[in-house]
Amino acid sequence: MSRAEDLPVLRRPRRQQILPGFGLTMGYSITYLSLIVLIPLAAAFLTAAKLPLAQWLHVLMAPRVLAAFRLSILASLAAALVNAVFGLLIAWVLTRYEFPGRRLFDALVDLPFALPTAVAGVALTTLYAPNGWLGQLLAPLGIQVAFTPLGVVIALTFIGLPFVVRTVQPVLADLEPDLERAAETLGAGPLLVFRRVIFPALLPALITGSALAFSRALGEYGSVIFIAGNIPLVSEIVPLVIMTKLEQFQYGEAAVVAVGMLLLSFAMMFAVNAAQLALQRRHQARR
Amino acid sequence: MSIRIEQLTKLYQGTPVVNDVTLEIHTGEFFVLLGPSGSGKSTLLRALAGLTHVDHGRLSLHGRDVTELPARLRGVGMVFQHYALFRHMTVAENIEFALRVRRMRAADRRRRRQELLQLVALEGYDERYPSQLSGGQQQRVAVARALAHEPAVLLLDEPFGALDARIRVELRDTVRAVQRRLGMTTILVTHDQEEAFSLADRIGIMQMGRLLETGTPENLYRYPATRFVARFLGAANLFLGELSPDGLRLGSAMLPQPSAAPAAAAGTEAVLVVRPEDIEIRAAGAAAPEQAFARGTVRELTFAGHQQHVQVELAQPCEVHAATSVEREGDRTVSVDALRSAAEQAALPLGVGSSVTLGVRRLHALPTPISSFRLVAADAAQADALEANPLLAQLVRSMQARILSRVAGDAGSERLDAGICVLPLAPASAAAISEAIARGARRILCLPALPALPSRMLVHAPDPRRRAPLLALVSSVMRHLPVEATAVSLQSATASRGEVVETQRAMLDTSADLRHAHGLDLRSERFVGGMREWLASLSAQAEPALVVLGLDAAQPALDEALRGELGPLFHPDTRTAVLLAVDPAP
Repeated sequence: MSRAEDLPVLRRPRRQQILPGFGLTMGYSITYLSLIVLIPLAAAFLTAAKLPLAQWLHVLMAPRVLAAFRLSILASLAAALVNAVFGLLIAWVLTRYEFPGRRLFDALVDLPFALPTAVAGVALTTLYAPNGWLGQLLAPLGIQVAFTPLGVVIALTFIGLPFVVRTVQPVLADLEPDLERAAETLGAGPLLVFRRVIFPALLPALITGSALAFSRALGEYGSVIFIAGNIPLVSEIVPLVIMTKLEQFQYGEAAVVAVGMLLLSFAMMFAVNAAQLALQRRHQARR
Repeated sequence: MSIRIEQLTKLYQGTPVVNDVTLEIHTGEFFVLLGPSGSGKSTLLRALAGLTHVDHGRLSLHGRDVTELPARLRGVGMVFQHYALFRHMTVAENIEFALRVRRMRAADRRRRRQELLQLVALEGYDERYPSQLSGGQQQRVAVARALAHEPAVLLLDEPFGALDARIRVELRDTVRAVQRRLGMTTILVTHDQEEAFSLADRIGIMQMGRLLETGTPENLYRYPATRFVARFLGAANLFLGELSPDGLRLGSAMLPQPSAAPAAAAGTEAVLVVRPEDIEIRAAGAAAPEQAFARGTVRELTFAGHQQHVQVELAQPCEVHAATSVEREGDRTVSVDALRSAAEQAALPLGVGSSVTLGVRRLHALPTPISSFRLVAADAAQADALEANPLLAQLVRSMQARILSRVAGDAGSERLDAGICVLPLAPASAAAISEAIARGARRILCLPALPALPSRMLVHAPDPRRRAPLLALVSSVMRHLPVEATAVSLQSATASRGEVVETQRAMLDTSADLRHAHGLDLRSERFVGGMREWLASLSAQAEPALVVLGLDAAQPALDEALRGELGPLFHPDTRTAVLLAVDPAP
């Protein structure tokens, strides 16, 4: 046998790729991302930058804008929390139980995705208006939903629900049943099994889903404007403020509010991702 | 007695997946449940752990009835195939889980954890997460976790199944060592025969929900009771032989009786087990081996490390019959598997095509009363229909038995005194049955024209003198069908008190005898009316059943019974299959 040095050095064979080469696909990806996401966002920044800094502060610190920011953030947060709880419940029911009509129920969860948001808004308003089906039941109790921040929360809950269900559901379905059985044989009761074994395993998905629901709620416009009534300082959300400014041809001011919103969204996404990463470091679910 | 399982039955959609299992496991014993996948072994283990509900029976741990107790209160430790470690907890948190649940103080927890980690040789891994460990290490953690709360028994569900071969052997040794050191009563479930042999004090073999046999590895290997166990535990050649008081006939050779052979009348067909290492091979020209039984030609030689695997095809015409199903009927070639040690290989080099004489060093006769099936049909089409019957197909498959011959038309003058004779059930069957009995048939299975697998088995055995052979037949069938069996007593509506007591006693005796002799349980049922009414009521039911009856071999009584009280059996629309045991009254 000859020694290794005597053998010709072969060129490393190129692995066959399914899609055309890295250069081409990456180029397209960047182009599309730029056209659709980056350039419009940059345009918002540029328009806003035309205004001097003093004007910026003036626009953002206006009581009406501040109130809108407060409502948008708090209502979105509330909606995300409600969805976290009930989305988890729905995902649980859908994966753990077999019942007639389960598939229909499963399909219904996606309805808020499919429905034009304006339709949802009109429907919710009709329901919750003081003379609507639900509104007239709530009115004697002194609870008014339509045209109040509560109405905003309900609309945002509606559109955010699928995010939590659809992120938690597959994780729950893939959860090894033996984990629960192991915990049982070790002496844990049902509550403890859920708290110490199932919930921690679902937490990353639950955070992701709630974060998605939150970001979606922050930018939601269509379904909210009908039910909110848009009373300045009370039930006006940030996207509406932007719309109003646009309608009054105050493009600069609109852009400033938009940029504020954008930065806020960025901050939120960053925080959520950081939390995810920290969780993942602790328990990488690898088998 | 550490673990006692009594008559445990678990149904899944009406079919028993664990069927009437009774088993006792001693304190400190390492018991292995061995069986193919789907045999119910894991379900049995989970029932013991309290992770699955059972439909019937009782479970006791250390004398405490735990049948209704939830898993968390049973005090068992369980290890799963895919480890089932909590991924968001460190090794330490995993091991301490059971202790935290029991609110043990942190210092005590830490001490116990150190002990356990030392036991499984994982000291210093406390703060790792499961994802940072190899499969073998993860399973060690799972073992430590299962032992943390000092359980009464340790249950291992295919714990090495997900590991590669080398780690598997290493972890197996660890588990055995830990079990020995703690004297922990342990049950391990596996489908790996080698694993069972290397770990078990005792093995229980399961098939189709039934616990077929239990015993030490050596006893099960040397003296299996069923074809299934003989072939599941290592390779085996199964032949049909003939037992008689003078010895044992295998092909043309007469061999001495094996010591453990069942007592038998002359001409009784038996299934013989010969392990490949017990086959002696000599060159055709040389002196024949001491217990020679056949000649043949070497067909295949396979290198297996220190041993050589030899496949020999027996020379035609061949008087040795295989006891297990053959690929093609009419294909009369019989091949024999043999293993040769290095010394034997050196003494006689073999090549493919060498002519050899085969001898047997040791053999074992199975105590099964069902050695083979013989179909008796009017023509080939009817024989095909019989062969396709789901009940027969199921029996042949699960017993790994063989349909030895098909007797069609009037040409059949062959004697039918060996094995089970299979007949179609039709209005004219009474005559066919008496003819078969006249030709020597003693065990007759009659199959109805409507093909259905019976969902229950009904045994009527009022005569104590003929009960023993009948129950041997019943137990053999019961072990190979996924059905529940019931002892039926018949009692006339006008019976006196004394007669009622008598029939009740006969029924209870039947159950007790089967329990005692074969370790199986019968349900019991009383029918008010005579044999004729009972059989008529069965024929009217949509639920297919298998009826087992004992008949008196004396000719006039037999004919009278066939024409009289057994009449409803031959109804054309019946779904009831019948197994008749014809024995002379002693």
